[in-house]
Amino acid sequence: MEGLKNNPIVKAIGTQRLVAFIALIVIYLAFGLLNNKFFSYATIVNIFDASYYIGFMAIGITFVIATGGIDLSIGTVLSCSALMAGYLNVSKGLPIVPTILLCVAIGALFGLMNGWMVSKMKLPPFIATLGSMMLSKGLGAIVTMSQSVTWKSSTSEEGWYRNIFRINSQSGVIVPTGFILLIASAIVMAIVLNKTRPGRYILALGSNLEATRLSGVDVDKWQTLAYVFSGLFAGIAGVSYASIYQVILPGAGSGFEMDAIAGVVIGGTSMSGGNGTIAGTMIGVFIISVLKTGLPFIGLNTAWQQVATGLVLIIAVFIDVCNRRRKG
Amino acid sequence: MKRKVLRAILCISMAGMLLAGCGNNQSAPAATEPAEDANTEAEELGTDAQEGASTESTSNEGMMVYLVSKGFQHQYWQAVWQGAQEKAKELGVEVQMQGPDTESDIAQQVQMLNTAIQLQPDAIGLAALDVSALNDGIAQAQSAGIPIIGFDSGVPEAPEGAVYANAATDNYAAGALAAEETYKIIKDRILSTQGSVRIGVMNQDATAESIINRGLGFIDKMAELVIADGKTVSIVGNEKYVNDSQVTDKGEGGNVILDIAVPSKVEAALSSTDAQTLLNKEDILCIYGSNQFSGEGLVNGDANIGKLGKDVVGVAFDSGTVIKDAVKAGKLAGAVTQSPLDIGRKTVELAVKAAKGESVADVDTGCQWFTAENMEDPSIAPNLYD
Repeated sequence: MEGLKNNPIVKAIGTQRLVAFIALIVIYLAFGLLNNKFFSYATIVNIFDASYYIGFMAIGITFVIATGGIDLSIGTVLSCSALMAGYLNVSKGLPIVPTILLCVAIGALFGLMNGWMVSKMKLPPFIATLGSMMLSKGLGAIVTMSQSVTWKSSTSEEGWYRNIFRINSQSGVIVPTGFILLIASAIVMAIVLNKTRPGRYILALGSNLEATRLSGVDVDKWQTLAYVFSGLFAGIAGVSYASIYQVILPGAGSGFEMDAIAGVVIGGTSMSGGNGTIAGTMIGVFIISVLKTGLPFIGLNTAWQQVATGLVLIIAVFIDVCNRRRKG
Repeated sequence: MKRKVLRAILCISMAGMLLAGCGNNQSAPAATEPAEDANTEAEELGTDAQEGASTESTSNEGMMVYLVSKGFQHQYWQAVWQGAQEKAKELGVEVQMQGPDTESDIAQQVQMLNTAIQLQPDAIGLAALDVSALNDGIAQAQSAGIPIIGFDSGVPEAPEGAVYANAATDNYAAGALAAEETYKIIKDRILSTQGSVRIGVMNQDATAESIINRGLGFIDKMAELVIADGKTVSIVGNEKYVNDSQVTDKGEGGNVILDIAVPSKVEAALSSTDAQTLLNKEDILCIYGSNQFSGEGLVNGDANIGKLGKDVVGVAFDSGTVIKDAVKAGKLAGAVTQSPLDIGRKTVELAVKAAKGESVADVDTGCQWFTAENMEDPSIAPNLYD
C-alpha cells in the first residue's frame, strides 16, 4: 500500500481520484456484464446525454467550492435561463444565436449577483445562493407564466442548435458533439484553475481568505469571479439541457445542483475549500450519469439511483478522510 | 469600489428591464377575466328564461369561479384555461386559475385550495393531484357551502356531496381507446411471434387518478384483446399498476408481457431513461406513454436508439410540439387527445350552474385517436396544442 502511494502516477492523480476512476470503470463494467446491451454505442451516447447538464454545472461549481463556498442556485438558474431565453425564441421570435448567448448571459448574471452578495455584502454563501435559488425559480415561472417552454425541434429552421450537443443525421449516424464540448470546457477550466493567476488566487483564498487578503490580493474580485463561472456554466448547462430534452418545465431545475455537488465531491474536491480538481469532477459526474442510465438496465427503479449515488458519495469521501488522517 | 457597485446595480436593473420586456401583454395565469360582453350576457340570460330551465333570474354579475388546476407547465392546461376564459366571458363571470409549479407539488396544491376557500368564490373547480391530501380542504369548502366542480381527472373518492359534478375525460375509457387502436397495429405481430413480446407502458406517476386510469384502461383493454385471441398476458413493473390491474399473472410468464415504468420524479431525464430501458429489451414490440410528459420521454429516449416507427410501435397521449412532430414523422403511430378546450368551457358552465343552485350532472368531455393522416381534420386540429 505504501509502495502504491509513492508511485508517481498515483501521486500525480491523487488517491481519491484514482479510487473514483477505478469505481467508474468497475460500475460501468458491472452494468455491462449484467446486461450486455449496456456496452452498445446508443447507451454510451445516452450516458453522455445524461452527463452534459450535470457536467457543465459541476465544472462551474468546482470553482465556488474551491473558495470554500457553495452555490445552491445553479439548478434553478439552469431552468430559469433556459425558460427565459427559450420563451423569447419561441414566442417572441428572438433568433437562435442571441437566444443561446442570452441563456448563458442570464446564468452569468445570476453568478455575478451571487458573487457580489458573498464578497461585498458579506452574506454567507449558503444564504445568498439559497435566496437566488428561490429568486430564479420564481422568475423563470413568472416570465413564462408557469408554462413549460418547448425549444425548437430539430426539423425546424433554427433546429440546428441541437447539433451542438448531439448530431442525429438522417442516415442514423449519431455524433455526441456535446461530449467533445464538455471535455474541451473541462480542460480549459482545469488550466484556468490550476495554471493561471485567477485560479491560483481562488484556491489561495479558499484555503485562507484573510492571509490572502493581507498579502495584497483583491480577494473580493476573485471570489466574485468564482461565482460568475458557476452561473455562466449553469447557463451553458441550460442550453445543453434544452438541446437534449427540448422541453423545460418551470419546476425542473431544483435538485440538479445536488447532483453537480455530489459529482464535485466524489471527484475529490474538499467542501472546506483550498483545493479543487476539474478532472476529478468529471469522473464524479460520469459516475452519476452511469448510475442514472445503468440502474434501470438491471431492473432497478430510478429511485435506486439516488440510493446508489448516496452510497458512492459517502464511501468516496470516507476513503479520502481515512487517507488524510493517516497522513496527518 | 463605487464604480463597481454602480456597475452591479446597472447589471441588475438591466436584468429587470429584460424581465419587464418579457412580461407580455397576455394575461398571467392568475389573471382575472372581467365581464366584458354585456350583449352575450343578456342573450345568455334570455335563453335561460326562454328555456325556463332555471328558476333563478338573477344575473351572473359579480360571480367568481376559482379553478385549482394541476399546474400550468403542460400546454394542455393552457388550452383548459383558454376554454375557461371563453366560457366565463360568454356567461359574464369572473374566473381565476391557479396551479402548482409541478405535478409533484401536492403540498402546494393543498395550500392553493385553502387559499381558494379563503377567497370565498361562488364555486371552485378542482383537478386533484392527490385525492387524500385534499380531503380536509374539500370538507372545509363543503361546510362553507362552496360547490366544487371536478375537472380533468376530477376529484374521485371525495366525501359524499362535496363534488357537485365533473367535467372530465373518462380516462379509463381513453386508455382503453389507445389500447384498441394500438392492438389493430400490433395484432399480427403478436399472433405470429413464437416467444414472448413486451408492451411497455410509461406513466408519469402512480398518484394522480387520471394517469393511473389511463394506464389501467390501456393495460386492462390490451389484456382483454390479447386473451380473446388466445394468447396469455402477464404484467411486471410498478407495483401500484401491477396490483390494480385485472391481469392476474404477475411476472414474465405471458406470451405478451406488459411492462410498467414510473419515474421516481417528474423529470425529463428520468423519463427518457425509462424509455431507453424499455427500448433496449430484446422482446419489445410497443410502448405507450400515458400523458404528454411520458410521450415526450418516449420520443426523447428513442433519439439515440432509433427504434420507434421501425421495430417498435410508439403510442402517446395528449399533444404538444414534440408529440405532434413525432406523429407527423411516423415515429409515433398515433396518440389520444382529450378536449382541453371543452374541459375548460364545461367546468365554468357547471360551476356557474352549481353556484346558482341548479342541478348539475357529470359531463364526459370525450377523447379522440389521431394519426398523421387525420391530424388536420377540423374535429381534431383545435384540440392539438403546441
